[in-house]
Amino acid sequence: MLKLEGVDAKYDSFKALDGISMSVEPGELVVLLGANGAGKTTLFNTISGLMKPAAGRITIDGKDVTGRKPSALVAAGVVQCPEGRKLFPGMSVLKNLRLGGYVHRRDRAGMNRTLEQVLAMFPILDEKKDEPAGSLSGGQQQMVAVGRALMGRPKLLMLDEPSLGLAPLVVKQVFERVEQINAEGTTILLAEQNAYAALKIANRAYVIENGRLTMQGDREEMLGNEAVRKAYIGA
Amino acid sequence: MEQFIQQILNGLTLGSIYGLVALGLTLVYGILHVPNFAHGALYMVGAYVCYFAMVELGLNYWVAMAAAAAVVALLSVLCERLVFHPLRHAPPIHDKIAAIGILLFLEAVVQMHWGADFRRIPTPYTEILRLGELTLPAQRLLIIGGAFALMGALHLYLKKTMTGLTIIAMAQNREGAFLVGIDANRVAMMTFAIAGALAAIAASLFAPINLVYPAMGHLVLLKAFVIIILGGMGSIPGAIIGGLIIGFAEALGGFYISSTYKDVIAFVLLVVILSIKPTGLFTKGVR
Repeated sequence: MLKLEGVDAKYDSFKALDGISMSVEPGELVVLLGANGAGKTTLFNTISGLMKPAAGRITIDGKDVTGRKPSALVAAGVVQCPEGRKLFPGMSVLKNLRLGGYVHRRDRAGMNRTLEQVLAMFPILDEKKDEPAGSLSGGQQQMVAVGRALMGRPKLLMLDEPSLGLAPLVVKQVFERVEQINAEGTTILLAEQNAYAALKIANRAYVIENGRLTMQGDREEMLGNEAVRKAYIGA
Repeated sequence: MEQFIQQILNGLTLGSIYGLVALGLTLVYGILHVPNFAHGALYMVGAYVCYFAMVELGLNYWVAMAAAAAVVALLSVLCERLVFHPLRHAPPIHDKIAAIGILLFLEAVVQMHWGADFRRIPTPYTEILRLGELTLPAQRLLIIGGAFALMGALHLYLKKTMTGLTIIAMAQNREGAFLVGIDANRVAMMTFAIAGALAAIAASLFAPINLVYPAMGHLVLLKAFVIIILGGMGSIPGAIIGGLIIGFAEALGGFYISSTYKDVIAFVLLVVILSIKPTGLFTKGVR
């Protein structure tokens, strides 16, 4: 579904991504592990089109999307739920969700159907739908962010550290939802520092360090890998 | 008492014009994140297009106003495409300098064609309604009615339509807007078009009770800045209410204190309000 070949990205002269080659197959849940500053968010933003790659090729279902605008990527079914959520804080929860379906704005019936599914998945959002998104708790805002991304009806959903700054119980809920979304057929690329929780629901994982992919493997390999355990699980 | 109500009416007239100009300025600020100094020039061009269509071509007032709105909306979009869009990755100071450049350019072009003379646009609505001691010139009522109708329409557009929401979304979180698939160029062009049209309509409404000349945008722009600083940068209700505050302060201050100093009052008010509430009156707590 998603394929990167030798992708580089730069901030001025600093090379933030160095020759990234990876792939995500339809239906998979792939985890991207990495410490702060390793390049997870840069990689996501490059795939989403917020940053232009300095080199390399990105394809979606075999179609070259390298350097395309973010709106083109969303229309192609690649939707990112960003780190820090990036909600519209002054707007109601409902408007945030509706804007998530912006690319499907002409399909009102379809949008309302997706909205119902999202509200069924996160019942608390139904209760808070008229409140400004900025007034919600961190966990609820994360649900709005995931819900907003789902409103774009992604084929590939990219979640950038959805557990960041949330209480352990809320983190557990978020991961349950991520697993559910994947089980319902959406391919997921999940960037996490919370390696153990993420690997438990993953099919495969990549490890990114200083802008390079240094390791990859399926769940069992990664959970059993001494280096991964030391660096990201702490056991 | 009648005097007071009369001044309230004058304040409403001024306030609704200022509000329209400030609304455009605040919308563009939400997109550019720099003040568009060229906005006053767009206001001035709006008045001249209306003058040209009405006096030189002999068209109907409303047709002239629509023409002014269309021409200035287009001009505003051109400014975005040709000047601000290419500068989008440059530091904000470049936008500010470019905006001043547009301002000087437009004024020079207008002055080259029409000269620096003061001109008048005749109002087709010369009736004066009388209510007891009150005199209500029809053009002033038209200004108030027209401006508030337009503000109401803009409010509905921004709150109720998907395209309107994209403008607010872009102002509240730029990256978030990109990530839901909103096209930055489209929103920027739309916002500049709306801002230009609002300025042109404000100018066309106000011109018949004022004068048309190349520097007419200066004071209006300065006051619009005061208004959006008062109301909180980027705040839409802030622009409307800020406009009314300045309008009332000018009308009442001009009458009860000194008409010579009426233009100073807006700036005194700015100093007073900012020393009490430095973030402006309507800045949202949630960010």
